[in-house]
Amino acid sequence: MDRRDGACGRQHVFLVPEYLKDASKKMKNGLMFVKLVNPCSGEGAIYLFNMCLPQLFEIKVFKEKHHSWFINESVQSGGLLHFATPMDPLFLLLHYLMKAGKEGKFQPIDQVVMDDMFPNCILLLKLPELEKLLRHVTEEKEIDKKKYYKYSKEKTLKWLEKKVHQTVAALKTNNVNVGARVQSTAFFFGDQASIDKEEDYIRYAHGLISDYIPKDLSDDLSKYLKLPAPPASVPNPPSKKVKLSDEPVEAKEDYTKFNRKDLKTVKKNSKMTASQKALAKVDKSGMKSIDSFFGAKLVKKVGKI
Amino acid sequence: MESSDEESVHRRRVHLRPFTLRSPAPVTLHLLPCEVPVSRPAPVGRFFTPAIRQGPYGLEASFRGRSLRGEEVAVPPGLVGYVMTEEQGEVSVGKQDFSEGSEEDHEVMESPETLERDFDRFIGATASFSSFTLWGLETIPGPDSKVRGALTWPSLAAAIHAQVPED
Repeated sequence: MDRRDGACGRQHVFLVPEYLKDASKKMKNGLMFVKLVNPCSGEGAIYLFNMCLPQLFEIKVFKEKHHSWFINESVQSGGLLHFATPMDPLFLLLHYLMKAGKEGKFQPIDQVVMDDMFPNCILLLKLPELEKLLRHVTEEKEIDKKKYYKYSKEKTLKWLEKKVHQTVAALKTNNVNVGARVQSTAFFFGDQASIDKEEDYIRYAHGLISDYIPKDLSDDLSKYLKLPAPPASVPNPPSKKVKLSDEPVEAKEDYTKFNRKDLKTVKKNSKMTASQKALAKVDKSGMKSIDSFFGAKLVKKVGKI
Repeated sequence: MESSDEESVHRRRVHLRPFTLRSPAPVTLHLLPCEVPVSRPAPVGRFFTPAIRQGPYGLEASFRGRSLRGEEVAVPPGLVGYVMTEEQGEVSVGKQDFSEGSEEDHEVMESPETLERDFDRFIGATASFSSFTLWGLETIPGPDSKVRGALTWPSLAAAIHAQVPED
């Protein structure tokens, strides 16, 4: 039996782009997971940097209730599946530009991208073609060969509109069912015979993009796209501290806690952010960004021998 | 002590050792439709795997007296699967890989001393996979399963995050 399988370190099941494997051949270091801001919620989220390419990756985790992994000769609870996918760093830069934009001044980008909460944000400044990216969302000035930037809402909305349209195209290619009839199960159910309305696609794509921008900007984008106001919002279930459950209370160590089909109703996460609630329509069925990944508490200092 | 730990968590970087991605051993993965509250070594090969049979509608197995139906799910093209394991204990900064590094390896613009700091942690791929077995309780999960849907996320993410053309 391979000893590594029995290692006590936590095991994470990941899907990553294949080219990372090739890129790793030329690297000794420079691949790292860091915590940066989630541009939608303002809270922390885990990202992966490849400082060699260099490129930013978003980490999302898929979690379905009552699942576990068997990994060779070991069991890993939770059944989490992590995805690392390339991310447009402009969403993160935009978060800082909008914050700085409130002062209405032109500023050098290295003075904009600063964060006491997430000091690793300075890694963003090492990404390629920053100037080209910034042009989509800022006015710029050049004084003494140094560039100064100021957030531009008009340009940002134009940029986001293009994002929405390219996402609509991908939704169509992937046959994602965006129709209103299937809201609750929308995202991950592929096949559909009916033809969805263009507006449904735009609304859906708007929802996806809204996961990367603050709520106010998402509302402005909705108007900009001339999306009709959504029907009176469905009241959210009151959030409860206690575990929402229609199941009998089960013992912690019960190995037979199975995922019963008849109980597979999707329960809303009581910790949804405001914009997530607004986006109830976009049900990504368990796909979430995560803010903790490597438990801080995991490393227990081992006492002196 | 507590607060400085807290702070270093925000500043912390978890370094993924690149050489571990090169050719990790293949792994056998089963995604089970049940909750197991612990993570630890388990005699999967002794009790679970031998009972897997090919039935008329897919794979059949049983676990803790329940009947399971399963199917192989391939990792979508363009992606590769890894099992990553956190390294335990003390980390020495700048610790080099056990030597798979060759002359052509080049380091990135920053020296390891600045990329890797003493409060950072390390993680490595311990295995890789190109498919896994997805199990459903009594029925085959099938194309409508949420996991299958989740596998389309990378192509959607690609569209969301692709650069838009300039005017």
